[in-house]
Amino acid sequence: MNLLSRYLQAVARLLPKARRHDIIEELRSNILARMEDRAEELGHPLTEDLQAEILRRHGNPTLVAGRYREGNLGLAFGRQLIGPELFPFYKNVLMLNLSITLVIVGIVSLTVGRAAFPGILLPLVLQVMVITLIFALLDRYKGAVLDKWDPRKLPALKPNADGYGPNARSIFEFICLALGTVWLALTPQWPYLMLGPGALYLPALELKFWPRWPLFYGAIVALLCAELVLRFFTLFRWLPRRRAQILDLVLRGIGVSVGVLLYLQGPHYVSSRYPEVAAWANLTFGVSIAVAIAIHAWRAGWLLFSLWRVRERMLPAGQH
Amino acid sequence: MNESPFENLRLELRRGSLVLAVLAQLRVEHYGYTLRKALADEGLEMDESTLYPLLRRLETQGLLASEWREEDKRNKRFYRLSKEGKVVLKQLLEEWRGMGESLDRILREVKV
Repeated sequence: MNLLSRYLQAVARLLPKARRHDIIEELRSNILARMEDRAEELGHPLTEDLQAEILRRHGNPTLVAGRYREGNLGLAFGRQLIGPELFPFYKNVLMLNLSITLVIVGIVSLTVGRAAFPGILLPLVLQVMVITLIFALLDRYKGAVLDKWDPRKLPALKPNADGYGPNARSIFEFICLALGTVWLALTPQWPYLMLGPGALYLPALELKFWPRWPLFYGAIVALLCAELVLRFFTLFRWLPRRRAQILDLVLRGIGVSVGVLLYLQGPHYVSSRYPEVAAWANLTFGVSIAVAIAIHAWRAGWLLFSLWRVRERMLPAGQH
Repeated sequence: MNESPFENLRLELRRGSLVLAVLAQLRVEHYGYTLRKALADEGLEMDESTLYPLLRRLETQGLLASEWREEDKRNKRFYRLSKEGKVVLKQLLEEWRGMGESLDRILREVKV
């Protein structure tokens, strides 16, 4: 079913992100049902040619995605120029083009010190006209242009279109997390890693952490190590996505709890000789913890929302 | 190239009646593909790329209710007529029958 996945990938690319997954899953189940019916009729599994024929009849991905867009709007001057299938793309291209033009004009105005806006009217009108003309022609001849397509020529499947598994982002995040964990684990022995040359002044400042810091420090490093292990497993898809999300949520929850407890334990630094330096260090430390708590809480909230959304989608009838 | 005037008019004629057919058919629960088959069995062929987005639109308008459910080891989205949909279907049917009677009277005189 590689061809079907490539087809759905092409449709998904053009759908609004919020409804993409839902629409694609529905299309997948409908098209699969049709393919199974056809295979049953023929009495043998479908060849790639037969699958391609079903997808071709289903419609060009651009037109299919266009029909799912909200609004069902079109552009008409007397007669319809751009139909609802292409109108969402027309609107997006037009908005992008006009925005870029306005940004450029804004930069030019700031650079030369006078408003360049009066002279922009003609280029803007021309842009609108040219883009409208292109889309009107495309709409008029879409039968000839968009209906002649071959599902076998669709782009290859991206290995991780769902963002789960070894993709550039997850590998980058894993490396950053690994470096961050090693860095944090080494800072007690080498304060230079955190403070740079300022570490040389630490003995003279007599700046000391409050006594329970080692306990929290150990918990933070342990949490980072646990997250590292979890990311390693998800990187290679050794854990089902849902289970990985639940474990991630648990870690975030523990992270937020540790962060809040740590925050409430302040002041974290004491210095009998330079109390103003200790106050500054406490402020910086407090802000850092608050930011870390906010990031963990946001991530935990997002994970909860994702899990709830999947559960709502998959719940059997009558359990909503 | 654009369709002939007949093709355009035929599509226009079908457009409104398809909604009525879909609403009527969804008095019994269906998922997209079985609905399409049920309509085709009654002689009303409909493109998948027209029917499936139409179901979404009708649901957004509150005329249909849907839910995901597992059937034959696959999750499918099942649609059925909502409470509001039943009221609208009744109104549309009255309108349709009224129009049908008028058209019958008018067309009785037409000789092609």
